[in-house]
Amino acid sequence: MTGNMRLKEDEEEEEEEGASPIIYGDVLELILSHVPLVDLAHACLVSDTWKHAVSSSLFHLNKLRPWLVVHTQTTRSPYLTSTHAYDPRSRLWLHVDKPPLRHVSPLRSSHSSLLYMLSPSKFSFSRDPLHLTWHHAQPPLVWRTDPIVAAVGSRIVIAGGSCDFEDDPLAVEVYDVESRSWDSCQSMPANLKDSAASTWLSIAVNGRRMFVMEKNTGETYSFDPSTKIWNGPYELHPDPAVFFSAISFAGDRMILVGLIGDAENVKNVKLWKVDEETMECEKVGEMPQLLLEKLKNENSNLASIGVTMQGDFIYIHNTSGSGALLCCEFKIHDEIEWSIIENVIIISDKTRMGRLVFTCSDVGIHDVHKALSSDNRRFLYSP
Amino acid sequence: MITLTSSDGETFKVDEVVAVKMQTIEHMMEDGCAETAIPVPNVTGKILAKAIDFIKKHVETTKKEELRAWDADFIKVDQATLYDLLMAANYLDIKGLLDLTCQRVADMIKGKSVEEIREIFNIENDFTPEEEKEIRKANQWAFE
Repeated sequence: MTGNMRLKEDEEEEEEEGASPIIYGDVLELILSHVPLVDLAHACLVSDTWKHAVSSSLFHLNKLRPWLVVHTQTTRSPYLTSTHAYDPRSRLWLHVDKPPLRHVSPLRSSHSSLLYMLSPSKFSFSRDPLHLTWHHAQPPLVWRTDPIVAAVGSRIVIAGGSCDFEDDPLAVEVYDVESRSWDSCQSMPANLKDSAASTWLSIAVNGRRMFVMEKNTGETYSFDPSTKIWNGPYELHPDPAVFFSAISFAGDRMILVGLIGDAENVKNVKLWKVDEETMECEKVGEMPQLLLEKLKNENSNLASIGVTMQGDFIYIHNTSGSGALLCCEFKIHDEIEWSIIENVIIISDKTRMGRLVFTCSDVGIHDVHKALSSDNRRFLYSP
Repeated sequence: MITLTSSDGETFKVDEVVAVKMQTIEHMMEDGCAETAIPVPNVTGKILAKAIDFIKKHVETTKKEELRAWDADFIKVDQATLYDLLMAANYLDIKGLLDLTCQRVADMIKGKSVEEIREIFNIENDFTPEEEKEIRKANQWAFE
């Protein structure tokens, strides 16, 4: 093992008793692997040596992992929002202290790091990891209360969710972020007429397409916003015993999470990987029974779950607001490792005050620097 | 029993079950080099004694809560001793002690500003004046 410390040599001054030795090399990188990301953001500005040690440590010893960001919002104006983030790399919760958003309406998210607000006068959205930048646009033509919203490449697709009798319940509009313009296009398939809202539909989005699936039946359609064409139906029903499922992309993998049994008695929760071309499902994992019990909490009823995914991580929560927050990670050879997220008390308390919205982001040192440079933003460790 | 000799000549006799927790020593035992006293040149008697105490406690106790409390107490040492323990754990390859000492040092970095980190760890700022200027400009928050 290489020696990793030397005492600072003072040529003119007398040597101090107990002068702290200088740490470098393997040992420094090992120490840094125990330092949470928000502190690594400071550590890498300390010296050139430390800057390289931080990079090396992140690459070799303890790599970055996507944060689960939980936004809690009161249900009435002024819709006060508070934000907490879980960093799985260091297994700790942070309170993200930031200035309140202006012109707030209910916050929503339908996939990964996308956060949006829709009001009669404005459509606002943010896609960056810590939601520092908000894009404000004219609202879509059709007023919608519960649409599905997806960021596909440089376009935002809004579909369904209309409530006015005169409006087409299947209306689809696509917003082009670069030209800042809306375009109407082919409506959603007629089969979705009675379930064309985010309450009933789960979406999975990659750079090119959006997949829309009915949570209760598994009937799925795909939409390509560049061609504006819908394809399908496809049946994503890998097990007849699945009564509820949700889809999303974890990295390149389209994953389907299914509840098996019925709401009063969920027997299993299983994971399938879906082939984008053939739409065939391959089982990749199953939730351990112990964790399933924790997800249900005391209440044996588990009617639906929410899933948020990014990279190799899948976060699962009970949409009733109670129960545990679970995490699963794809490791080498796509083996799945399950874990429970501790200290969710902070979140449970907030639930009583309002709604929870979950997003999942790849947060890096650069993002933390940007956030700290922005007005009055701070990351505080939750006790 | 395995005999270890510290850098300042102190000898320690430890059970094999304790010695094998020091991976470096375990390799020597496997290679058949543990018949006579093994010199540990980088570690003083004071630190070697503490490292052995750590291993003994972790071998004897399995209750996680008890170990956690004991570790918290064990690691309440001055900075110099902490570093010496870290180096010893690194050289002797004692995983649990290495994790504990690294975590403790990492905790010293948590919540600190750039200047504070430089002070605590006696870090020489080896950025060029131009680099330093750029950094301060781009990250004013870090130097307030």
